[in-house]
Amino acid sequence: MPTLNLSGALRLLVLVAVFLAGIWSQSSGVIDDFLFYLPDIQFLAVQHLWLTAVSGSLAILVAIPLGTLLSRPSMARVAESAMQVLNVGTTIPTLAVLALSMSFLGIGTVPAVFGLFVATLLPITRNTYTGLKGVSPALMEAAAGIGMSPAQRLLKVELPNALYVIFAGIRTALAINIGTVPLAFLIGAGGLGELIFTGIDLYDPVMMLSGAIPTALLAVVVDMLVAITAFLVVPRGVNPSRA
Amino acid sequence: MKTLMTLLTGAALAGSLTTAQANEIVVGGKNFTEQQILASMTSQYLDALGYDVEKRSGMGSAVLRQAQENGQIDLYWEYTGTSLINYNDVTERLSPDETYSRVKELDAEKGLVWLEPSEANNTYALAMREADAEERGIESLSDLSQAVNDGEALTFALNAEFYAREDGWRPLQQAYDFRVGRGDVKRMDSGLVYQALRDGQVEVGLVFATDGRIPAFDFRVLEDDQAYFPAYALTPVVREETLEANPELAEQMNALSGLLTDATMSRLNARVDVEKVTIERVAETFLEEHDLL
Repeated sequence: MPTLNLSGALRLLVLVAVFLAGIWSQSSGVIDDFLFYLPDIQFLAVQHLWLTAVSGSLAILVAIPLGTLLSRPSMARVAESAMQVLNVGTTIPTLAVLALSMSFLGIGTVPAVFGLFVATLLPITRNTYTGLKGVSPALMEAAAGIGMSPAQRLLKVELPNALYVIFAGIRTALAINIGTVPLAFLIGAGGLGELIFTGIDLYDPVMMLSGAIPTALLAVVVDMLVAITAFLVVPRGVNPSRA
Repeated sequence: MKTLMTLLTGAALAGSLTTAQANEIVVGGKNFTEQQILASMTSQYLDALGYDVEKRSGMGSAVLRQAQENGQIDLYWEYTGTSLINYNDVTERLSPDETYSRVKELDAEKGLVWLEPSEANNTYALAMREADAEERGIESLSDLSQAVNDGEALTFALNAEFYAREDGWRPLQQAYDFRVGRGDVKRMDSGLVYQALRDGQVEVGLVFATDGRIPAFDFRVLEDDQAYFPAYALTPVVREETLEANPELAEQMNALSGLLTDATMSRLNARVDVEKVTIERVAETFLEEHDLL
């Protein structure tokens, strides 16, 4: 009879709670209510992920080169003010970005992707810049000392060392992105926000949760996927999670 | 003289403070232009009459109704058909007068009083671009149903509420016997539907009959030839307790209700949505025109 330590007991308690919640929801018919929205959830979740995938990939493709460019010594003077601009940009509510992009791109998918792209761009650029700036000067000096060209230094020393921080930026950005997509419904781009906002309009909590819970799950799953990718991609020697 | 003035002002202030407690009224409004105008108009009007008014607009119908039943909202403008079908689950076909008397009776049990209905009937309708409708030969909802069943590629823009309402999208398709696939229906904020339809992002849009953008954007409203939609007479609905506390309120609201017609609402809505005048300004101008401020 092994003695249960505190965390083990806690885990057991959580499992029991989940089990009881399952029994309750089955008996009260809530599950059936949710199943009613299943076709909607599937359709909208695909739309939702599509918006995230397009805007997220574009943001990654633009942000990493941009952050790298800003971190070059020749850009040092511009970089600080550029980072300030990006910092200010981060504080603009995404809803406002969406509304602004709607005013010059019309409604639907295009302005939504653009608005999400802008919102996702900033954290990744900032982390790329910070990560590259944070590479130890001793390493850089050693790299120069063994005769590496600037391009080699960037690819072989700086980027691998900064990769972990860059991935952290991507994780943050994508989680924000998925959490923001529901707002895209308001400018006619669909996504799980359709269920959330219709649920609010109709005072229908089940419909609202049919949109909100999948949104939260998507954010968690995507975050985990990026974390696993980071674990595999970041070289062992510079990866804190594999040290 | 000066002391007299001070005394008078003091008395007036004290008077207004004591009445303010008794006459606090929360005015509600839904989340589309007409309702925002009405909420603003009612607030300014009652404010000028000396009530202490708080305005809360921008809610979905169901939320607003719930808030009124709970006593968080005292007064807002509702449409007879909306209450009949969505809040009271009546499925019978009733004439406009019958609709009004039925909801008046049913909602009285919940402590809500329907005052005098206005002449404005803000029914839901489906609209198409005039040229496009002409080309396809669609004039009524039956024609539309025919076109959908013939496999014409038609996409629809609806607002969130209509899609799920009991007098909304699914029953409409049943009544006219057509079926639109999930992917051909785009849901969006009510105000965006007009833009989406105008810019050709969809072929058919859900509109409110009194919206000023219908003539401005040259839309054709499809005739409801099977009379699927109920009457939606615009009417002030007030909590009974509020009326008891403010005996003159009913008469004052009826005076306002008597001024509203389809043409008036359409003009007011157009001032906001087409001419981009602020909601407060439009409401204020209307009240000034009728010497209510």
